[in-house]
Amino acid sequence: MKHWLRRQRYLADFTLAALARRRVKNTGLIVIYSIIVFVLASAMMFSAALRHEAGTVLAKSPELIVQQLVMGRHEMIPGSEIEKLAGIRGVAAVKGRLWGYFYDSVNGANYTFMVPDDDSYDLQPGEAILGEGIGKARDFTWDTAPLFVTSLAGKMVKFTVRETFADDSALLTADLVLISEADFRSFFDLPPDVYTDIGVSIRNEREIGTIVQKAQLVMPNARFVTRSDIERTYQRLFDWREGLMTALAAAGVLAFAIFAAEKASGLSAEEAREIGILKAIGWDTGDVIAMKLWEGGLISFGAFLAGTVFAYIHVFSFQAGLFEPILKGWAVIYPDFALAPYIDGLQLATLFAITVIPYTAATLVPIWRAATADPDQVMR
Amino acid sequence: MISLKNVSKLYNEGRPNEVCAAQDIDLELARNKVTVLTGPSGSGKTTLLSMIGCLTRPTTGRVFVDGAMVSGLPEKFQTELRRTKFGFVFQRFNLIRGVSVIENVMLPAAPLGPEYHELRERAQSRLERLGLGAKADMPIEFLSGGETQRAAIARALINDAPVLIADEPTANLDTVLTERFLEIVGELQSEGKTVVMTSHDPRIWQSSHVNTVVRMQDGRIIGVDA
Amino acid sequence: MIFQTPILALLLISALSSVVMLWAGWFALRLLLRWDLASGSRAQLEMERATDLVSTLFGFVMLAQLLSLLLYVFNADRMATLFVGAMCAVGTLNNNDWGFPTLYAKLAIFFVATMWLILDRADRTGHDYPLTRVKFALVLLIVPLVLAAGASELTYFLNLQADVITSCCSTEFTADTEDAGLGSDMSSLAPATALWLLAASGAAVALIGAVSLIWKRGTMLFAAAGAVFFVVALTAIISVISPYVYEHPTHHCPFCILKPEYNYFGYVLYVPLFLGTAFALGAGLLQPFRKVESLAATLPARIRKQVALSLASFVVFGLVVLWTIWQSQLILFG
Ligand SMILES: Nc1ncnc2c1ncn2[C@@H]1O[C@H](COP(=O)(O)OP(=O)(O)OP(=O)(O)O)[C@@H](O)[C@H]1O
Ligand SMILES: [Mg+2]
Repeated sequence: MKHWLRRQRYLADFTLAALARRRVKNTGLIVIYSIIVFVLASAMMFSAALRHEAGTVLAKSPELIVQQLVMGRHEMIPGSEIEKLAGIRGVAAVKGRLWGYFYDSVNGANYTFMVPDDDSYDLQPGEAILGEGIGKARDFTWDTAPLFVTSLAGKMVKFTVRETFADDSALLTADLVLISEADFRSFFDLPPDVYTDIGVSIRNEREIGTIVQKAQLVMPNARFVTRSDIERTYQRLFDWREGLMTALAAAGVLAFAIFAAEKASGLSAEEAREIGILKAIGWDTGDVIAMKLWEGGLISFGAFLAGTVFAYIHVFSFQAGLFEPILKGWAVIYPDFALAPYIDGLQLATLFAITVIPYTAATLVPIWRAATADPDQVMR
Repeated sequence: MISLKNVSKLYNEGRPNEVCAAQDIDLELARNKVTVLTGPSGSGKTTLLSMIGCLTRPTTGRVFVDGAMVSGLPEKFQTELRRTKFGFVFQRFNLIRGVSVIENVMLPAAPLGPEYHELRERAQSRLERLGLGAKADMPIEFLSGGETQRAAIARALINDAPVLIADEPTANLDTVLTERFLEIVGELQSEGKTVVMTSHDPRIWQSSHVNTVVRMQDGRIIGVDA
Repeated sequence: MIFQTPILALLLISALSSVVMLWAGWFALRLLLRWDLASGSRAQLEMERATDLVSTLFGFVMLAQLLSLLLYVFNADRMATLFVGAMCAVGTLNNNDWGFPTLYAKLAIFFVATMWLILDRADRTGHDYPLTRVKFALVLLIVPLVLAAGASELTYFLNLQADVITSCCSTEFTADTEDAGLGSDMSSLAPATALWLLAASGAAVALIGAVSLIWKRGTMLFAAAGAVFFVVALTAIISVISPYVYEHPTHHCPFCILKPEYNYFGYVLYVPLFLGTAFALGAGLLQPFRKVESLAATLPARIRKQVALSLASFVVFGLVVLWTIWQSQLILFG
């Protein structure tokens, strides 16, 4: 064991020196390798962060949402239904929710108008809280400039902006306008005591199935959407985009693998001579392979580290400037926010598998070929 | 110490450009003797030397080192044998450029995994003995021809191998350096080492340090002068 | 569903492993026909050198499969949100009939590749490479396994269905489900029985191992005992040890313990267990060859080292188990 470790140390030492000697060739390789890792890592971290972000937001939303259907289409739900739902066992809280979309003809953007679920916002009539995308879309000159919008009925309405949302979870709040219930009803011309839908909080998540069954009996016309349904939809959306990126990047990885194999097999005369010498003076094929594996390992490690770190900075400090258009979609209101840093083991393992494994596979045969040089060749 | 029985070596076996570089060779090399292989260019000296030093396997015939047959061994064991039994000095010295003198000297020991400081001291003592102690940390390419050769000898001695093998060691050296080389060979012999080398340099095979001269032609031994 | 990065990565590893193994199989056939160490011919030399390549490739496949095993479980866990009823890896793997077979195949490849490497190492210490033919005959057996695992994995991922309601660890590893699978058999084992079994088989392994170390006999038995211990230990993990980790008497999942929520505790449990089993099997694998002439000098020592390493790993596993039970808030036995 001690011998083994020391032998590895000699091999690593020699390899490092050899890498330094062929600085130019290896720098090129490492740069390209790092770029590949960088692109893939950025895409993966970005979509994982979005996914995570969506998860955080969803964690705050009620377990079950109940919508009224009329002829299969979404309708306003009367407040009387709240009572029925609250009567079911296992239900912790029931709340009518008010929200709707609004098309802003000034700049062609869609806003989400919403009455906040929890009362802690304490919005007074005439006040609004805005997502940070709205000020941008409207070219607000200062943060709390009043918001003027034209209601459906053609009335011009003015809201004083109390605050804009802080950056966390901006993904889902960018286009959000929070207003008071009274404003909401008058803006959209709604009768009292109807809601967009009803949010149901449930004590034990395992009971959702039973509760939905019971609720279906009381409200045969309603649609029930569970939080996990929504979560699934989100996950799929993000996964799909990320997968697409990866599939595109696969071409890049393949090209890189070919390039790496080429590099590894096109030994310079100098390098071939070195290997010949080593073999003649008593290095075994296994020693040379181990040395070359050290070389590959050091290169991979360096490139993996560099690519990952730069991707991390790119995604979490520069909002993935290079990829936003592809991954976020093509909305007019463009969320511009710092993603909460988030990476996990699966991501890193996957990244490792799709970059280091192809590189290693592509270089193994050339390495072996170089290592099996005839030891007597240096005699000539 | 080393004996070859009916050894032949074919290159490019079975192809139209087949060459028989050594043919039916029987040879005994005694312990603690200096042997020189000589003969015209292309006569198979280098080929024979690499079979003696386990660098190549003979196509047919057997090679014994210390009574054990080594010719049928897999490459891995030939390598193991090579690093414990033989030290090599090549015609073009074959030191690795860009690496310091002492590290070049240490290289043959690396796969054995010795303790680093111990190995370094060992290398330093070899270099000092050959008068290169002060140049240990210089890059190898800064050394002069004679110094390079002595560095190569130091490398050959690092594993304390009992046999030194040298292919045309003096081909690039002037008379003074050749003399110096022969002195070193004499010293090694007096320490109990066995030396085998090739040369077509009369200064070598006429030297008093040499015990046996093996003459070769067309891949065969045509005479042994003891 | 296949357009997900971890899945693409897994398929990539399978594809590479399959290609490598197909080549190795083809080479093995040639070798079995023409291997002749006595020959000094170029062809023999080239074949000899190619065995170095095969060894390197096997090392690669072994490591890649280890990574793939981890990735497979991680990914199954993450994908659980995509399937109704799935809460962790078990649910995802139960989505269709190929999930668990793929997992078992991956485990098998890992062990088999490790075994092969152990044999390879031993072979290379004999100056006439005495086990080469055995080794390459084994390659021919491993090739179909790797291909089958790859095919099974592909089938599994292609057939993942979002709208299938899967059963997850809450049902799979609960004693009283209707469709009793292997998992429920394992968890339905009473915790006390499982612990007793674990202790008994642990003691047996230790005893046989000690005999093998001191009197140099019973090594094959030790290997068999190691394999039995592996199965018993997995059963015990499902039946009692994981409830101790989760501190919840009915949570039996063998995968959730790998999650960060439980401090990745599963690795501390599984790594020594896997190592111990691999070394034990390796010792048994080498045992028949200890009288081969060129290995007689080194192999017995090597076998004993394997037995010792195996025992040491099992001891670590045992300590981890004891520690788990000791520090857990859960009290299963009053
Ligand atoms: N790798 C090889 N492939 C083919 N032919 C070879 C090879 N190596 C040597 N030969 C041939 O074998 C013969 C003997 O070569 P060798 O190098 O042993 O001669 P030598 O006596 O050392 O010559 P010199 O004095 O010029 O060094 C030569 O005809 C040479 O062309
Ligand atoms: Mg020559």
